[in-house]
Amino acid sequence: MLSVRSLSAMLFSSLLVFSQATRAQDIKIGMIAGLSGGGASYGASIRQGFEMAMKEINDAGGINGRKLVIDVADDASDPAQSVLAMQRLVNDQVDIVVGGWGSSQVLANMEVAERAGMPYIVVGASNPRITTSRNKWTFRILTNDNGQATRLADLAVSLLHMKRIAVIHDSNDYGVGARDIFDARLKELGVTPVDIESYQTNDKDFTAQLTHIASANADGIALLGTLPAAPAIMNQARDLGIEGRFMGAAGLSNEAIISLAPEASQHTIATAYFFDTLDPQAKAWTEKYMAMFKNAAQAPRPSQAAPTYRGVKMAADCLTAVGTDKDKLRECLKGWHGTFFGLPKAEEHFDDTNQLVVPVVLVTVEGKSFALLPGAN
Amino acid sequence: MLPQLLIGGLGTGCIYALVGLGFTLVYRGMAMVNFAQGQVFMAGTFLGLYLARDLGVPAIPLLILVPAISFVAGALLEKLVFRRLYHSHEVFVVGAIGLGVMIENFVRALFPEPLPFPKIFGSGVYRFIPGVLFQKTYLWIVVITLILVLMLHIMFTYTRRGRALRAVAADAEIAGTMGVSVPRAIGLTFGLSFAVASIAGVLIGPLYFVSPDMGDMVGLKAFSAAVLGGINSIVGTIIGGILLGVIEATAAFYISTDYKDVFAFAILMLMLVVRPHGLLGRVVPVKV
Repeated sequence: MLSVRSLSAMLFSSLLVFSQATRAQDIKIGMIAGLSGGGASYGASIRQGFEMAMKEINDAGGINGRKLVIDVADDASDPAQSVLAMQRLVNDQVDIVVGGWGSSQVLANMEVAERAGMPYIVVGASNPRITTSRNKWTFRILTNDNGQATRLADLAVSLLHMKRIAVIHDSNDYGVGARDIFDARLKELGVTPVDIESYQTNDKDFTAQLTHIASANADGIALLGTLPAAPAIMNQARDLGIEGRFMGAAGLSNEAIISLAPEASQHTIATAYFFDTLDPQAKAWTEKYMAMFKNAAQAPRPSQAAPTYRGVKMAADCLTAVGTDKDKLRECLKGWHGTFFGLPKAEEHFDDTNQLVVPVVLVTVEGKSFALLPGAN
Repeated sequence: MLPQLLIGGLGTGCIYALVGLGFTLVYRGMAMVNFAQGQVFMAGTFLGLYLARDLGVPAIPLLILVPAISFVAGALLEKLVFRRLYHSHEVFVVGAIGLGVMIENFVRALFPEPLPFPKIFGSGVYRFIPGVLFQKTYLWIVVITLILVLMLHIMFTYTRRGRALRAVAADAEIAGTMGVSVPRAIGLTFGLSFAVASIAGVLIGPLYFVSPDMGDMVGLKAFSAAVLGGINSIVGTIIGGILLGVIEATAAFYISTDYKDVFAFAILMLMLVVRPHGLLGRVVPVKV
């Protein structure tokens, strides 16, 4: 008993020391993501992108001489816990929050940010309902599914000439939202999906859905979901003899999909937020990032880390320009414009709903990495 | 269509049955439910992953090594942790859940994200019936489950130690007065329950990716399976597990995949209301 008590006393005092290391004049930036649960593969990359940007900023002298410190909140990839995680960041009085992975989680936790008046830069959720006329404090720096799923439907029909398209989607906000947009766009193009199937995020066996798809004899399969289910669906589909080409939105542009389904994921098409050889800056960034995390617990994944890196840099731009006053920060973000590396060249800026007007890049799995999809970029 | 679903259901069902057996063994011996069973199953997979991927242990030795290590771990944990919790069922349940959380987070610290498991059982398919694919892994699952059940049956029926376990399960006090070492029997029971769950972990590994939270749902489903079949009956639990797997697979196909999990838990609720001792379980009269 005594040992337990003294151990907890030690832990408590070390926490005190740790919190004292955060000085009053430091700028506190909150990070929210699923570091455990279904989104762990993405959460770890978000953290890496975050740490890289922070390190660069602090090595260059911080923000107007003030050090940037990180406050990490793990939402366990769960909408309910995500609300608590955001509340904790608000209680910790962070100056701005960057992160947010998973549409269901962001739709839940952005309410807390909105109520608290907390500037929130979303880097990993694409459901259109996140940026509407209602959000005042939530900014999104990636293309939403209106852009991604529509683009995918166009490609499938006009570039790849697919005739029999099946859809299998996650039944969360991300999957359902993307399915509706994809399906609507296909119908506009005069194509009706041969089959639409859904699954739960944590499902492991997809035989029931894939048996339906196999009998529909699809030549293209839109897989609107994320890891780890997506590569499992690919593996199981190939085992069942399904040969259609997989395609999906940015949920699939995660390098881990190739390591988890090395053969089944070949030639998969995905929309992505970053491509490493698109421009010299992207190349240099990727090299630096890979070197920084080559020995990390999770292998470095540029596609997922880059959006977060951009988000932290954007936050730093505004913190440098206007300081930590939240109203001023929001105004600064609204007026932010610039050009992202690793994407087709464009001048990015926010629209009236705080949605960044930003292009996507179309990639395909070739061998052990992503390549640009020919004819699409 | 249907045969394909039945194969999938049978495979998953065998996994539920094996993990459920862990619940049953402990419940028979102690009338307590060890809710860390799902995490034991998960830990078994990760142990298998380490041995197979990093040390290159092939399938058969793996199926001996993993349960052997798990057996020792189970007996040890019984001595260090569970033994202190027997005085009340509530304390035991909460303690077991807490242990499960600890195991899960320990594994998460080492392996933060989903990983592929080596295809130790081969990756091909058999086509016994035209149009129906029988994955090699499923064949292994079914065969190993059969062998295990047979071994447990032989042990409990014909060996001295197995009969001692049954005596303790029937009445620990009287078994004790007849010269059976009760603490030892209980340690053995826990060891066995860990061993069968860990075998299930190795069997399911190649079918999916392994992740620290993989035991949560399987644990709950296996518990449902045990309740369905009768938590104090070994045969009942096996039947309950297979039934649950098959019902889940067919209901997902013919009704809706969205409610796949609902069926499992609706069955659990229904059984608890209508027939709490399960399909094959015995009603144990309360002794005053």
